[in-house]
This record gives sequence, structure tokens and C-alpha cells, in this order.
Amino acid sequence: MELKLQNLCKQYGAKHAVDNVNIKLVPGLYGLLGANGAGKTTLMRMICGVLKPSSGNITLNGKTIEELGEQYYIHLGYMPQDFGFYPDFTAREFMLYIAAVKGLDKKEAKTRTENLLHMVNLSHVADKKIKTFSGGMKQRLGIAQAVLNNPSILILDEPTAGLDPKERVRFRNLISDLAKEKIVVLSTHIVSDVSYIADTILLMKQGHLLLQEPMATVTNSIKGKVWEVLVSEQEVSKYSRHFSVVNLHHENNMVRLRIVNETAPSIDAHIIEPSLEDLFLYHFGEEAQIERSNGNENVN
Amino acid sequence: MKTLIKYEFLKILRKKSTLIVMVVSLLITAFLFALPIMQYQAYNQDGAIAGLEGIKYQKEQYLQLSVVLTEEYITDTIREYQKLFENPDNIGYDGYEKFLIGDAYWNFVAPREKLLRTIAANYNKPEEYKGLRKLTELDITAGANFYKTRNEKVEALLNTPSLGMSEKQKEYWQDMSSQVKTPFRYGYYEGWEIIITSFELLMFAVLAICIVIAPVFSGEYQAGTDAVILSAKFGKTKLITAKIVSSFVFGILAFTLHIVVACGLPLIAFGVDGWNLPVQIVNSTIPYPFTFLETVIINIGIIYLVLLAMISLTLLLSAKMKNSYLVLAVLVPVLFIPLFLSPNGTTGIYNLLLFLLPYRCTMPELNNYISYQFGGLVLDVLTLRAILYPVLTAIMLPFAKFGFRKHQVLT
Repeated sequence: MELKLQNLCKQYGAKHAVDNVNIKLVPGLYGLLGANGAGKTTLMRMICGVLKPSSGNITLNGKTIEELGEQYYIHLGYMPQDFGFYPDFTAREFMLYIAAVKGLDKKEAKTRTENLLHMVNLSHVADKKIKTFSGGMKQRLGIAQAVLNNPSILILDEPTAGLDPKERVRFRNLISDLAKEKIVVLSTHIVSDVSYIADTILLMKQGHLLLQEPMATVTNSIKGKVWEVLVSEQEVSKYSRHFSVVNLHHENNMVRLRIVNETAPSIDAHIIEPSLEDLFLYHFGEEAQIERSNGNENVN
Repeated sequence: MKTLIKYEFLKILRKKSTLIVMVVSLLITAFLFALPIMQYQAYNQDGAIAGLEGIKYQKEQYLQLSVVLTEEYITDTIREYQKLFENPDNIGYDGYEKFLIGDAYWNFVAPREKLLRTIAANYNKPEEYKGLRKLTELDITAGANFYKTRNEKVEALLNTPSLGMSEKQKEYWQDMSSQVKTPFRYGYYEGWEIIITSFELLMFAVLAICIVIAPVFSGEYQAGTDAVILSAKFGKTKLITAKIVSSFVFGILAFTLHIVVACGLPLIAFGVDGWNLPVQIVNSTIPYPFTFLETVIINIGIIYLVLLAMISLTLLLSAKMKNSYLVLAVLVPVLFIPLFLSPNGTTGIYNLLLFLLPYRCTMPELNNYISYQFGGLVLDVLTLRAILYPVLTAIMLPFAKFGFRKHQVLT
């Protein structure tokens, strides 16, 4: 199975939300990273056929979405960002409804619904109305509906948004389990969501695909650009102003800073092994800082 | 497909707003159609008899009026009226016209006032309104010639210059009018008359159904469920059909419930008497050869067609608009602006269009000779409504389907 995005563009007036993206996706888990507004959601919507590209095309095994029609959607599972539910439906009714829209026969729909509700730990509330669910329960129901048809292409747009750390870990493991032999694209601006489970990292910035690298080698590009330095507490603000500080750790009266920079931030600084967070900050330094100051913990 | 329809239907029914809108609408319909019962008053020498008692009294009065309106019967009736008028003791005068008073009124006019007015109106010239006074002016030495006069009046109506009818249109109406069976059978028909004259009140039911249907597509955009369903196998195909079918099923069932209430209340209170009587006993020049029951069935049928077209329009707007409030912002004027528009005669493009607007289509307009000519083809207003609204439905539904299928998830 090969999902190909060729010269894919989406323009809103003069703004290029997605600009000439070319990717070839084969089974595996892809972590799509980017700051807010990078074009991740737009890209995913186009993959899912709910947003028409301004130009370019998407092909599955050589055929475009338009050519494939229903045959494309058979392979697709989609969990959009902030997607809604029918508040007056129970979890079971919602699953059976989505199963019907996905074209599952009644028997299969029932079996898959029961199995998946069990898998996402919602069996005990299967007959409760969705309006009574917490955010985490809704997210779990969201992932369950996405995999109802056992899709070979699974698109998850910010699936961990609004979850607490414990739920996020559980969610990550769940996705990892579901991802076998599928093309899974998981978008997030939370690095830790994908750092443990992704096979490949896709990095988007301002509509462009900056890089597409296997997880094992994704940080190679910033090798020699991540530094650690021990500074006094008074110096922290100076370093923060001039460099991308990924992390700081207080040690007695000193502070250990982790900095991403092309050159050594000071003569005392020494090079350390880069992580995915460092890579993220390297590319999205300013945006990530803004988001972090707005309360979004991007580099955790 | 059945499962999809079931769940789409469930989606409509499960909403609290559906229940609220339907209950309110049914209560309004029940109130409006019960109003003529509550306000009904029959009169006798002792005063007014209100409500069900009044209905019972009036029905008893009509027992002796369940007759065939032969020339002989009509002549005798007119003669008797004129005879009573010859006695000055029976006559009152209000400064404008003379009328029967006292026993002459209570014993002769009051029990058969509607019949006398129908007879009198038959002899009025087009656009002449003389009431019962007309009966005193008639020369019936050679008989009443009621049906001959009726035919002449129809002819005169067709030749009214303001109608501007073509020869084809005149032929059409003459042919239809000639199918009216004479002599007319008279009798009690109060319940049917109330239904026929109250049909426009069903517009509230149509609006209520459209309010419930408005979120069928736009509700998915508002709720943010559009992305999931449009990326599913049947999201752009069978699901749309299921949404349309469930909307129609809901609309038809809900409207039927309203019809049962609307027709049930008057028919329970006044009885079904008169179902087989010709509508000409209300107005002798009505050209349609229908009984009261036929009129009600035909008009309800047309209102159903209007309803289906309005549901289609609602679905089209719903597929195109971001939320259901915008849908209603367009729909309410479409349904209710014609309420404030009055016909100015019966011809001219304004009038001809006005009689085809949804609100006007709820009214049978049996008295008016409204016809439409397309080349050599002439259609009366009822027939054109019955053709137009299914055509509108057939045109709008594909656009509704297309609108949802091509919907772009942007937010």
C-alpha cells in the first residue's frame, strides 16, 4: 500500500496553508509535527477527502481519490481535531451509526463496536449518552470510531489534545497497538506524543514539509547543535533572550541549561545528544516559545 | 440503507428541540382549529347558544334542510321569503336596507340563513353584493331558473374584462363548470367548511417541521461531525439519501399528526355530515366539481406536496449554510412574506405568482377562476400547484445532495 501526495497545495486567498507537499507514505506510524498553523490539519483534511486541494493530487496505489471514490474511503479512518459527537446518542449508538456510514454490515458492526468499546475502556458506559462523557472518554470514543472499519490508512489529528498526562500515555499505547500494518499519520504539536511510537517524523512549517526522516535518524540534522551549559541564576534570563533554551534544571545555586544553537552559546558549553524536542525547537524556536508562554507545553 | 435511515431518523427524534417544537406546534394547531368550536354560537329567539350546545342546536335546524335544491324547491323558498316581505310587520329598516324581523326572521330566515344567502348570491351580478335583499328583487313568476342563472353568471364571470381570459381559458372553465352535477344536494357541512377555510393555519406546522429539519446537514457542520461522516465510505453517497429520506419520513409523519388534529377537532365537534355534498352549496359559481371531502383531500394532498418542497428547500439551505439559524433566516420569509401580500384582482403576473407561493397554496381558492396558459395548455391553479411543487422538489434535492457532497471542512 502506497499513499502518495504529489505537489499538494491549499491556498486561502494569498495564504498558502499547504505549499507543494510531496510525500510517499507506506505502512508505518508517521508523527506529523508542527506548530499551530503549520498546515497539519489542512494537510490531513485533504488526505481524508474532506477538503479539496487547490492543486496537486493524492493517490492510493496509483489511483486518485476521485477515481477511487468509495473504494478510497473503505481504507480510511479519521479522527479530526475537535470533532463533535451527537450528544443524545449513546456511545454504542454512535459507534453503530458510524459503522453504518462506513458500510459495515450489521453483524460486523456489532462485533467491532463491542470489541473497540472494550479496547478503549468504554464498555461500562456504552449505553450512556455521550453528553455525559468527559473529554478523555470522548477522545477514546473518537479513536474507536476511527478504527471501526479496520482502516489501512489512519489519520489522527491532535488526538491527545485535552488529555491529562496519564490518559495521554494510555492513548499513545493504544495507537501504537492499532498501528500495525497500517499507514498511521498522527499530527501533534506535543513532541512526546510521537517520540516513543513514531517510525517516521514529518515536520511541517508554514505549509511546507521541512523534513521527512526515520525516527532513528531524525535528529542527525541537528547533531552538534545542542548544548548544555551550567550558569548562575542571574545569567538565565540573558541566555533565554539570546538562545533557544529547551530545558533548564536548578542545581544548588546554579542552573543547567539545554540550548539549541548553531554555535556554542559559551566557552563552557558542551555538545550533547539531540532529542526530538531539540529538533522541534530548532525549527520552531520562536513559535514554540510563544506557545509555551501561552501555556502550551510544547517541549516537555 | 435501512440502518442509516433509522439512525438519521433517530438523530432527528432524539433532540430535545424536536420534541419542544413539535409539541408547541401541535398545541398551536389544536388551539387554532379548536377556536371555531369554542367561539361557535347559534342564535334563536332566546339569545345565543355557545359551543357544543350551539352546534347541536344548529345541526337540528339543518335536519329539515337536507334536501335537493331543485328549481321547484328554490322557487318556493324565494317565494316564501318574498311573501314574508310583503307584510310590513315583518320588516325592519336600519337606514340602509330592509330585512325580516321577529317571527318571520326567527322561524324562516334564521334556520336557513346560509342557504338563503347562497341562493341570493347566485343572482348577484359579478362583483355585486346585495345579500338577502337580492331575493326580494327577483321575478320568479316563470320559476327561479336557479341553474340557468348560475350558468349565465359563470359565463359573465369568465368574460369579466379584468380577468383578461383567453378563449382557451374560458373553454377550460366552461368545460369544468359543466361537470358540476345539478341540482345540488343541500345539508349540514359546518365541520368541512371550517377545515377548508382554516387550511392556511397549517403553515405553522410546515414551519415547525422545517425548523426540526433545518439542522439535518448544517447541524453536522455545527457539531463538527462533518469531517468524520464525509470521510466514511457512504458519507457522500448513501448517507445523504438516508438524511433526505428520514427528513421526508419525519415531515410526513409529523404533518399527518397535525392534519389529524386539524381535521379531527372540527369533525368531532361538528360531525362528518356534508362530506358528500357539493361545494357549490357555499358558492354556486365554484367551477370545481368537488364534494367537501374531495376538496379537503385534494387540498391536503397539495399541502403535502408544498411541505415536501419546503423540506427540500430546507435541506438545500441546510447543505449550503453553516448553521441552522441561517437556514431559518431564509426560510421564514419564504413561508410567511406572502401572508402580507394580497391579490389585486385575479390576473397579471403578480397575482398568478402569488397564488403559487407556499402560503397561498394552502388555500384552495375554489371561488377564483385562476388559470395558467402555456401555449395551448391551460391549467387551473390546483393542477399547477400539484405539478409545480413536485418539480421544485425534484430540482432542489439534487442541489441539496450536491451541496453536502461538495462541502469543504474548513473549521
